[in-house]
Amino acid sequence: MLQYVRRRKSAQALTPAGMLASYLILAGWAFIVLFPLFWILTTSFKLPVHVYDGPVYLPYVDFTPVSDAWRYIFVDLRNDTLRPYINTVIVALSSSVLALALGTAAGYGLLRFHYAPRLGVIGLFAGALLLAGLAINMQVPWQIALVSGLAVFLLARQTVGRRFTSSVGNEDISFWMISQRILPPVAVVIPIYVMFQRLGLLDTRLAIIITYTAVNLPIVVWLMRDYFRNISVELEESAAIDGASPYRIFWSIILPLSTPGLAATFLLVLVFSWNEYLFALFLTSANAQTLPLLIAAQNATRGPQWWYMSVLILIMITPVILMAIALERYIAKGLLVGALKG
Amino acid sequence: MSRHLRMLLALLGAIVLLPAVSVPAASSRPYAGVTVNVLTFTGPQIAEPLQRRGPAFTRLTGAKINVVTVPFSDLYQKILTDMVTGTNSFHAFVFAPQWMVDYVTPGYLEDITNRVKADSKLRWNDISPFFRDFSASFAGRTYTIPLDGDFQMVYYRSDQLQRAGLRPPETWDDYLKVAQALHRKDLNGDGRPDFGSCIAKKRNAQSYWMVWSVAADFLQSRGTSQGSFFDLDNFKPLTNNEAFAEALRIYVETGKYGPPDELNWDVGDSRAGFTSGRCALSIDWGDIGTLAIDPKTSKVKNKVGAVILPGTRRVLDRATGKLVDCTSANCPYAMNGVNHAPFAAFGGWSGGINKAAPARVKDAAYAFLSYMSQPAQANVDVTIGITGFNPYRVSQFKNMSLWVKAGMSSGAAKNYLGAIEASLNSPNMVLDIRIPQNQKYQQVVLDTAIAKLLAKETNIQQAMKEITDGWEAITNELGRDKQLQAYRSTLGVKR
Amino acid sequence: MLTDRNLRGTGSPNGPVPRLRLRLALAGWIDRQAKSLFLLPAVLLLVFLSIFPLILSVYLSLVRFQLVPGGFRFIFVGLANYRKLIVGIEREHFLGLLADPGPLIWALGGVIATVLLVFIIRGAARGTPAISGTAGRVVFALVAGTLAWLTIRTLTSGGRPGTLITTMIYVFVGITVQYWIGLTLAYLTSQRLPGRRFFRVIFLLPMMITPVAIAYTFRIIADLGKGPFAPAWRLLGLSEVSWVNYPWGARIVVMMGDIWQWTPFMFIVLLAALEAQPLELLEAAVVDGASRWQTFWRVTWPQILPVTSTLILIRMIEAFKIIDLPNVLTNGGPGTATESLTLHAFIAWRTLDIGGSAAVAYSLLFLVTFTALSYINLVHRRLAGAV
Repeated sequence: MLQYVRRRKSAQALTPAGMLASYLILAGWAFIVLFPLFWILTTSFKLPVHVYDGPVYLPYVDFTPVSDAWRYIFVDLRNDTLRPYINTVIVALSSSVLALALGTAAGYGLLRFHYAPRLGVIGLFAGALLLAGLAINMQVPWQIALVSGLAVFLLARQTVGRRFTSSVGNEDISFWMISQRILPPVAVVIPIYVMFQRLGLLDTRLAIIITYTAVNLPIVVWLMRDYFRNISVELEESAAIDGASPYRIFWSIILPLSTPGLAATFLLVLVFSWNEYLFALFLTSANAQTLPLLIAAQNATRGPQWWYMSVLILIMITPVILMAIALERYIAKGLLVGALKG
Repeated sequence: MSRHLRMLLALLGAIVLLPAVSVPAASSRPYAGVTVNVLTFTGPQIAEPLQRRGPAFTRLTGAKINVVTVPFSDLYQKILTDMVTGTNSFHAFVFAPQWMVDYVTPGYLEDITNRVKADSKLRWNDISPFFRDFSASFAGRTYTIPLDGDFQMVYYRSDQLQRAGLRPPETWDDYLKVAQALHRKDLNGDGRPDFGSCIAKKRNAQSYWMVWSVAADFLQSRGTSQGSFFDLDNFKPLTNNEAFAEALRIYVETGKYGPPDELNWDVGDSRAGFTSGRCALSIDWGDIGTLAIDPKTSKVKNKVGAVILPGTRRVLDRATGKLVDCTSANCPYAMNGVNHAPFAAFGGWSGGINKAAPARVKDAAYAFLSYMSQPAQANVDVTIGITGFNPYRVSQFKNMSLWVKAGMSSGAAKNYLGAIEASLNSPNMVLDIRIPQNQKYQQVVLDTAIAKLLAKETNIQQAMKEITDGWEAITNELGRDKQLQAYRSTLGVKR
Repeated sequence: MLTDRNLRGTGSPNGPVPRLRLRLALAGWIDRQAKSLFLLPAVLLLVFLSIFPLILSVYLSLVRFQLVPGGFRFIFVGLANYRKLIVGIEREHFLGLLADPGPLIWALGGVIATVLLVFIIRGAARGTPAISGTAGRVVFALVAGTLAWLTIRTLTSGGRPGTLITTMIYVFVGITVQYWIGLTLAYLTSQRLPGRRFFRVIFLLPMMITPVAIAYTFRIIADLGKGPFAPAWRLLGLSEVSWVNYPWGARIVVMMGDIWQWTPFMFIVLLAALEAQPLELLEAAVVDGASRWQTFWRVTWPQILPVTSTLILIRMIEAFKIIDLPNVLTNGGPGTATESLTLHAFIAWRTLDIGGSAAVAYSLLFLVTFTALSYINLVHRRLAGAV
C-alpha cells in the first residue's frame, strides 16, 4: 500500500483584511491567555509585602525582584520538591501511555466489531467481582479472593447465565464507559482508598497509575472512536481482503492515519493525569506524593502563599508545555493516503 | 534453702537487675532504631519547627522523626481516614484540639494523662490553665500536648489611634466608634483611603470564629465551664435571644467600615491588609503580632497594638433570654465593669499520639512532643513568626528579652505580651465547640447562615432562626442527651 | 483470518508440516479472539475499579456515618438524606428559593408544557412502535419540565437558585461560550497564517495548569483591591464596588475562570478534527466557486459534527463536576450563590456528613445521566451515528 504524505496547504488564501482580522482575534485571545501567566511569573519574584500592598507589574520598574521564593523551593525544600516532581512525571506518563494503548484498542473495537454480551453474564461477572471485593475487604488475601471470584463466575455462567438472553450492544457499552466519569470523585474516593489499602498498595505509584488509567480510559475511547470514524472503511476492507489480520490493520493502517487524534488525545490525558488532585491526596502519603498536592498545600493557615505557589506552578507547567510543543507538530501534520484513488 | 531454690532466686534477681544494668548503656539513645511518622499540614507554619528540631531530637534519643505534610484543608480528613480504616501509617499528629472529640470518642487517640503526670521536664504547670485543663483534655483525661496557644485578640494601629486621640477599644461599641473614626482615612501614606476594620468574613474560612469572638462575651460571663454555645441543662442553642441578636448587629455593622470585598477576605487577606497598613483594626489570632515585625511582610513594624477581645457591659440572662446589665453577681470576672471572654478559637495546635501505634513508637512519639513543648525549645519557637507557634506558657510572656531579640521594640513587646497575658489569665476564656459533629454545627449551619446574613439574603431574625433550627436538627438526629453529656464533659462540668 | 496466501511457501507441496500447522492454528485463534482482545482489557480495568466503589457509595448515601466509642457506625436511614435535599432542611440550599409564580411565570410554564407535549405526541405518532420509546419521551418530558419549572421560579426576582440550578447555569453557559471561542481559534490556526504554530502552543497553555492553581491565580487576578486590575477599577470610580457582594457578579467571575481554563480543550480537539479533513473536498469546493463562509458551513461543518457532538458530551460531563473555581474564589459565597453541586457534596463530606455528601453526589449522577442520555438520544445519534 502506498501512502502519499503531503503538507497541508490551505484550500483558500486569506485576503489581507481577513488576515488582519484573524491576527487581531488571535492576538487578543493570546493576551488573555498570557496575562495570568505573566502575573504568575512576576509573582514568583515578589516578596509578600509586594503582593499585599497592591499590584506591582514590572520587575525593576515597580519593584525589585528577589529570588527568595525560588530559593525556598529549590534549596530549602530540595527533596520535598524533587520527589513529588519525579512522581508526577512517572505517574502521568505511564498512565497516559497505558490509557492510550487500552483506549484506542477499545475504541477501534467498539467501532468495527459487533459486541453483544448477554446481560446475565454481565450481571454474574459484576456479582462475582463484588463478592471478591467483599472478601478482600474482610482481609482475605487478594489472590485467593480473585481466583475464587473467577471460579464462581465461570461456574455460574455455565448454569444460570444461559437463562438470560437479552444482550447489550456497542452503544450501551460506550455509554457505560463514559458514565464512569459522571460521578464526582469525592463520592468514590473513600471506597477506592479502602480497596487499595486492602491490596497493600497505598502510597505507591502503582495505585495512582491504575486509578488514572481507569479514570481517563473513557475519554480516550470516545475521542479515538470519533477520529477513527473519519477513516474510510474501504481501506480496512481492502487490507482484509489482502489477508491482513485485525491487529495488522490496526497497527499499520489505522494508527498512522489518526496521528492528529492520537497526539491530541495523548496530550489531553497527560494533562488530566498531571494535574489530578483528589485521588492523589488520598492514595498517597510521603512517598508517592505528586505536585498538585504541593501547590494546594501552599494555602496554609496564613492564607495562600502566592510566591511559593507561583514557583511551583511554573515548574509544573514547563514540561507539559514542552510536550505540547512537541506534539503540536503531529496534530499539524495531515497525512493523506493516496491509495484510495487507485 | 535447696540448691534449686537458690538458683531460682539468683535467676529472678538477675532478671530484675538486668534492666538496671543495661539501662545506663541505652539511656543515651533509648529509641535508637525507632522511626516516628508525624502528620501535620504543609508549612512553613507548624511543620517548620518540627522539621528543624527533628535532627536534634534524633541526636538525643536515636529516634528518627519523619514529618509528613498534607494541605491544611484536608488534614482533618486524612487523620481520620488513616485511623478509621486501620491503616495507621502515622504515629503522631499535630492537629487542632477542636477535632479531638472525633478522634477520642472512637478510641483512636492515646490517653497521655499518666505520662504527663510523670514528666517533670514538660513543666506542665507552666502551661496556662486554660490550655492545660480545657484544651488538652476531654472528659477529665489528657490527650494532647499543647504546642501553640490560639486565641483571638483585637489588633489596632497604635500610631493612628494615638494621632486621633482614641483609646484601644474596651467594648464592641468602642470598636465600632474607632472603626468609624478611622474609616476612609489614609492609614499608610499611599494617598488612597483605607479601612476602619478588616475582618475575615469569607464563607467557609474563618468567619464562623470571628462572629463568635464578637458574640461570646455576650453569652458567657461566669467562667469557662459555663460554656457559650448551648444551655447546660437542656442543650438549647444560645443563638435565639436578644444578646445574640445584638452581637450579630455589631458583626454586620463592622462591614460598614471595611473593604468593599470584605465578604471574600479570609485570614490571609485580613492579615495582609493589616500588615500593609490598610486597616486600623482587625480581629486575629496571635499571628499579626509576629507578622508585623517581619520586614518581608510588614509595613507597620512597631505601629501595632494588641488588646484583649472587647467585651460588653450587658450580658445574656439565660433564664429570660434578655440582655441585662453586668453586676458582680452575673459578671464576676468583669474588668472595669466590662465582661471579656477571650475566644480560644480552634484551640491551639497540639500533638497527639495514635493509640494503635507500637508501644515503643508511642514512647518515642511522646518524648518528641514533650521535647517540642518544653520551655527550652518552645520559648524560642514562639518568638519566631515563621513557626506559627503563639505563646501559651506563662514563662513565654514573662521574658521580654526574647521578643526584643526577635525584632519587636520593647514598647510593642510589652503591649503585645500584656494583651496575651490578660487573655491567658482570664478565667472567662471561651472553649471552642467540641461535641460530636461540631463541624456540622459550625462550618455548615453557622457559617452558611452568617454568610447569607452578610450577603443580605436574610435579616438578623431569619439568620438566628436558621442557626437555631439547624443546630436543633443536628442535635435531634444525634440524640440530645448524648450531645449534652459530651458538651458537659468537654467543659469539665461534672454533675 | 487465514487465507491461502498465508500458507504459501511454508513447507512441502502437499501443505504445511505439522508443527507449522499448530502455529498457524494458534495464529488463527488469536485472530478470531481479536474482537475480545481489543475491548476486554479496557473493560476489565474499568470494572475492577468501578463496581466496588459504586456499590459502596450507593450504600453510603443511604446511611448516616457516626463515630462511636470503639470505632464508627453506619446507621441505615433509607432515603432520609435525599428527602432532606428535596423537601427537608437542605431544600433551599439544593433547589433554591422558589419565587411565587406570577402571570408571566405561568405563561412561560404553559409554553414549556406545550412544547414537551408536542414532543411526546410527535414521537408517538411517527410510527415508531416501541412503548419504551414513548415511555422514554414521557420520562424526558417530566424531568425536563420539572427542571425548567424550577429554573424559571428560582431565576425570577424573589427567587434564588440553589446549587442544582447554579451548576446547570455553569454548564450550559460555559460550554456554549467555550465551544464557539474554541472553534474560532481552531479554524483560524488551521489556516495558513504565519506564526500559527506559536498561537497554537499558546492557546493550549491554560489547560496545562492544574485546576487548583488556576483557581488561585484567578483569585488574585479578580481581586479588585490588590489584583492587577485594581488601578483600572479605581479609575472607573468603582473602588467601593466589588463583584464579591453580588451573586451574579460572583457567578460571572467563576464562569470567566472556567472559560479561560477549558477553551483549550475544545480548541485542541477541534483543531485535530479540522486538520484531519480530506483536502480534496475543500479543494473541490474552491473549484466550484464557493466562498469561505459557504465552504465552512457546507463542507467543514458536517465533517466536524461527529467530533463536535462527542466533544460537547465529554465536556458537559466534566463541567457538571466543577469545584475548584467556586471553592477557591469564593468558597461558595456570597451566601451560597456560587456553590456548585460538587462543592456542596465536598463541604458536606469534609464535615463528616458522608451520607449527605453521597446523596448530593448521586443527585448529580441522576442529573448528568439524564442530561447525557437525553443528549445522546436526541442530538448525538443524529449528528454522529449516521456515519
